[in-house]
Order: sequence, then structure tokens, then C-alpha cells
Amino acid sequence: MTIDPLAHPVSQSTTLLFAAVLVAMIVSLALEEKLHAKKSLIVGIFAVISLLLATAMHLLPFGDITLPNGHPISIPVYIPGVDWGVIAIILGSSVFVDVTSRSGLFTWIAVKLTKASRGDPLKLLWYYGLMTVLFSAVLNNVTAMIIVGSLTGVSLKKLNRSDKLLGFLFLEGLLTNIGGMLTLISSVPNIIVGNAAGISFLRFFLAASPYVLVTTIATIFLGARLFRIQKLSTAEEKEEAAFLIKSFDENDGIEGRAFFWFGAFMLVAFILTIATTSVLPVAKELGMGFVAIGFAVIMLIRYKSEVEQFYKAVDWDLIIFFVALFVVINVMEHAMVLELIGKGITFIIGEGENLFGTAALLISSAAFSSVTDNIPLAAMLAKILVAQGTAGDSALWWSVVFGANLGGNLTPIGSASTLVAITIIHKYKLPMSFAAFVKLAVPYAALQIVFAVAYVLLFLA
Amino acid sequence: MSHIDQFESVFRSAIKSVYTYQEISYRKALLITDLAGEDSRNLLSSITRYLAVLGSNVEWLLLTADDYYSTQELLESVDKAQPELICTYRNLHSETWKHPHSLGSHLDVLIQKTTAPVLIMPHPKADYADPHAFEDTNAIMAMTDHLTEDHLLVNTALRFCTEQSRLYLAHLEDSVIFDRYMEAIGKIPAIDTDSARREIADKLLEQPTAYIESCSTQLALLKPSVQIHPIIEFGKHLQHYQDAIANLKIDLLVMHGKHDEQLAMHGLTYPLAIEIRQVPLLMM
Repeated sequence: MTIDPLAHPVSQSTTLLFAAVLVAMIVSLALEEKLHAKKSLIVGIFAVISLLLATAMHLLPFGDITLPNGHPISIPVYIPGVDWGVIAIILGSSVFVDVTSRSGLFTWIAVKLTKASRGDPLKLLWYYGLMTVLFSAVLNNVTAMIIVGSLTGVSLKKLNRSDKLLGFLFLEGLLTNIGGMLTLISSVPNIIVGNAAGISFLRFFLAASPYVLVTTIATIFLGARLFRIQKLSTAEEKEEAAFLIKSFDENDGIEGRAFFWFGAFMLVAFILTIATTSVLPVAKELGMGFVAIGFAVIMLIRYKSEVEQFYKAVDWDLIIFFVALFVVINVMEHAMVLELIGKGITFIIGEGENLFGTAALLISSAAFSSVTDNIPLAAMLAKILVAQGTAGDSALWWSVVFGANLGGNLTPIGSASTLVAITIIHKYKLPMSFAAFVKLAVPYAALQIVFAVAYVLLFLA
Repeated sequence: MSHIDQFESVFRSAIKSVYTYQEISYRKALLITDLAGEDSRNLLSSITRYLAVLGSNVEWLLLTADDYYSTQELLESVDKAQPELICTYRNLHSETWKHPHSLGSHLDVLIQKTTAPVLIMPHPKADYADPHAFEDTNAIMAMTDHLTEDHLLVNTALRFCTEQSRLYLAHLEDSVIFDRYMEAIGKIPAIDTDSARREIADKLLEQPTAYIESCSTQLALLKPSVQIHPIIEFGKHLQHYQDAIANLKIDLLVMHGKHDEQLAMHGLTYPLAIEIRQVPLLMM
């Protein structure tokens, strides 16, 4: 099914009006905390306004839609604009992760690693850092931050190392955005860009993993030095820490051994299936969204009589935010706003693919996503790059992926996972203002962005 | 951000209290009595028999009726003696032991002012002591309202255990208080009352269960002759302990007497000390 964006002529003033609506939405999202409003409602309001304006101005192509088999069907005008593949991946993955977490698998891994550190703060930082990256890659960065951040608060308190909590949580917040670049399903911008560019899971992983590895090591190494997180020196300290850490029981959260192993098996199967969806017969037709929902449904069988608790646990704010966002972007496409932005981007980065343009797109994406949500940015840029006929192997796609993810490390509002880190920091009544975060984050973000530019230009361009 | 709290709860729950054994020894013990002469010496003799488990290296001191009269004099004498264990009974220099309503002014102050544990025996002139209570210490109960990481309580109780004895580690949740909270929860529409009752009850008993399991595991290696018996349940404190002491033929009840944040005795200690007169009580 296709929609002709030029169904009706659009005047420049109309485009500018809708551009103003888009700017207002982005500013509102940046001020989400100040407005005390959920992002789904903010974008939902702008979706309603955009649809009303666009309909009144005859910008939208009403009428039946023709399916590939030739059958016409009647669908509300705001439905086809939504990327249901992305929604299915997010919905399926979140239910799958939620049910799998009930098996105690993630807490088992987290507690096992905690015990393996024997309470040594430096080892703990390395283990938690690597776990953050791994969980961000396999689950998603928000869930990873919630799991590792919660464990950090509890374990450092138990080890009488609460003075190091700020450093740990801050670094974990940064690492979620690095881990979020490891796989195609690790963060929403990856899913959106990967879907738009036709990048497979495996190709994404192979391209991103060297960068993620180097940057993770550099971030933890730098963090340990700046926050003075050192290893225990005396035998007495080591003995005390080892005794305290002994009280953690990794089996506490395991409801049953059979379900635990089933959860572990399903997680491995999920990752392998997602990784190979693009080449698996049948699955490649149905896509990653189907795979995610299929795995979620299988896991739900374990709780067949109480599935509603998992439906309640779905982050509906996020799902509705995406739906509304796709609606807004679709309207913006009809109002030629995306074309206008595309021209602006072309003006900055130049025509076609060039080294300066690739670097400029990465840096500007990082700057933009540091002050507002990186999802609208990724969604908009993906649409623009598709509209410009950008090839699937272009480095510009990677500029968007790296920029959108790393921008989250510049400010506390740059990504949902850093916002979770800040929430946990404030929960423990640790001082961390917006300015303090930026001051602390700039050296790390600068290092990561410079690395990213060099990496994209040297290896992916 | 309810998910943060959800995972924090999971990790907090994964922290189990681990028991640490530490040898406790008493080198100097003091018997305080309001008897004099031969009577006081006889009492000392029966006490040392009863506490034979402490060994022959304990130096026993005796403070008789003539050595003090006022509470101040008693405190000064105790301070001078510097005992590591004090043995005495309620209502010193008073006839109020005939009325089961107090410990007496001497003991009230002594328990709070001294750092040594105080063993309160049945009054020597009264006939309410259980027949088994003064023979040996092969059935001991250590009790508290929060038996988690209370190594001192367990180790102290263990020190009084003879070979082949039974050590009851008791954690009793007050069912009256629990019901009151549940009644309040029952009026909050956002909370599922039945699941709250079930889950809160489980969690309240989970920590002491884990701790007592840890005690059992370690003491099976360190003190295999002592049998550890957990008592972890809901109940009405006083009646529950009265019944347990009678049914299990307890020889010594060990509990905390002092409270870090108040001048008065530790929570349940005072009412128990008043009511349970038939067996010796060790107030820490």
C-alpha cells in the first residue's frame, strides 16, 4: 500500500505552519519534566492537532487503500502512517523480557556477577559496566538501567560503599547508550533506522560491536579514574567485603528450576531467531515484530491464567507515544515538512555521501538528541533518508544510529535510560542537577562522539 | 518508575542474613541476692550447679543483703566488681515478689545501667519455679521480635547450651499489629487485600527463616550436639511464649533487655519479664 505524499498541492506557508507544530512538539518533549506530562499525551495532543489541521487543509489522502493482492480496504487515514513493525518489536520484546525476568534469570546473572566480584568496588564496576552493556544490547537500554541500577543501589548499600553510588549510576547511565548500539533491537532508533535501511541484525551487530567494545572499555577505565573507584587493598577489607557479599542469594528470585532453564533457553533462542530473521524462511516474510510477539506469546503460556498482569506492565506510554509520533511524522510528510528538513540537512551535509556530511550528520544528530527525545529524530531522519533514496549500505544511516544513541550521553534528558539513571540517583538523594550532569558527561560524550566519527569514517563509510 | 522499585525489591529480597559464630566466655560472674549468710552461700552453690555449663574457670562473686540496700549502693558495688555476667532475682530487698506486677526498683535500674547480661532467676522464696527450670540448661529459647543478624543473641544463648541440648530460636510476629495494618490496607482500593496479606506475611517470616537456616547450617558443623529448632510464626506474644515455655519445658529464656534508643526496656522484654516468672530469664 502506498500513499502519494503529493495528493494535494502544499503551499510554503502551510509547510511552515506544520513545521512550527513540529518544533512546538519537540520543544514540549524537551520540557516533558517541566510540563509534568507523559510523552504519549504530549505527542498525542500534537497528533490530534496535526490531523485536524491537515484534514481541514485537505492535505491527507482519504479513501480506500489497495492491498498487494488487489483488494481495496477502508482504513482510517492515521493508521497506514504508523510503522507497525516497530510497534510489534517493542511490544513483543517488552512482554517477552518481562515474562522472562520472572524466571529469575536476569537477577541470577546480576547476583552471580556481584558475588564473583567478592565485593571489590573496581571489579564490581567492571562487571556492572559490562552487564549494563550486555543487558542494553539484549533487552533494551531502559530495562538494563532499571535492573543494573537497582542492583547497584542495593549492593553498594550492603557493602557500605554508598559513597561510590553516584559514580556507578552515572557510568551505567552512559553505558546503556553505548550498549544500546550493539544490536538492531537494543534501542528504538536502531529499530527504526535498521528497518528503514534494511540492515539485518547480524550486519548491524558486526558493524557496531568493535566500536561498542572499545568505547565501553574506555568509558569504564576513565570513569574508574575520575570517580576514584579503586580495588580493595588490605586483607581485612577484602575479608569484610567477601563476607558481606556472601549474603546475596542468587537463587532467591527463581520460582522454579524448570522455568528458569526454560527462560534461559528461550532468551538464547530469541536472540538467535531475531539475529537470523532476515534469512529464516517464513520468519523473514513476517519480520522481527512477529518473532518478538511470537516469543512473548510462548512465554505467556507459563502464566496462562494471569496474562493480564503482563499486559498491565507494558509501557503503554511508550507504545502510544510511538503510534502518535508516527501519525505526526506522517502528517509532516504530507505537509512537506520532512522535505523541507531534508533540504536543510542536504545544505549542511552536502549532496550525496561525503566524509564531511557523514561526520556533520553524526554530530548534529548527537547534539539534537541530547536535548530532546532521540526517537522522533531517528524517525524523521529515517523518513528523510528513505525519501532521498539513500542506499542501505550508506554510512549516513550509521551517522544517525551513532548520533541518536550517543547524544543521550550529553544531557540527562537525552535518552530514556539516562533519565532512569537520574531517577535512581535522585531516589538515593544524591545531588545531580542538569548542569552537574552535563559537566560530568561532557568528557565522556566528547570522547565517545570523536571515537564514533573516526570509526564511521574509517570503517563504515 | 515502578519497575525500579520492583527490581530493588527483588535484589533486597536476595540478601539473606548470614549467621556468624563467635565464642562467648564469662570469666567473672556476680550473684546479687538479698539473702545473707548461709542462705546466700546455698543459693550461690545451686546457681553454680545450674550454670555448670559455663565451666570451672568462672570466678563467682557474691553480693549479699548486707553489701547494699539502696539502688545506688547496688550500682556502685556492681561497678566495682566489673562482672561479665550478673545473676539475681526480682524484687530485691522487698516483699513485692509476692505480687506478680514488677521486677523491683533495683532490677529495673540495674538492667539498664549495666553492660553485663543479667540472669533473672525465680525468686528463691517463691514456689512458682518450674521443677525443671533450675536443674540444667538443656532447653533454651532465644527470642526477639526481629531475629535477623542477631548474632549476639544466638551466640549468648548457645553459650548456655549443655551437650545434647535443644536451642529454640524464636521469632514471633505480633498478629494483633499485623491485623491492624491489614485492616488499614483493606480500606485502600488500590491494594489487593488478599495478596497483600499473603505476601506481607510471607516476607515478614522469610528473613528470620533464612537467618535461622543459616544458624542451623553453621551450627551443625560447629556445635553438632546442639539441636536448633526454629519457631517462626504469627501469634499473640505473651500467650504464645507462655505456652511455648510450658510445652517445651524451657530452662532458660534469652532476650534483649536494653534498647539503643530508649531508657526503658527493649520492646516486649518488660511484659515478658513480669509475667514469666517460672523459668530463669537472661536479659542482654
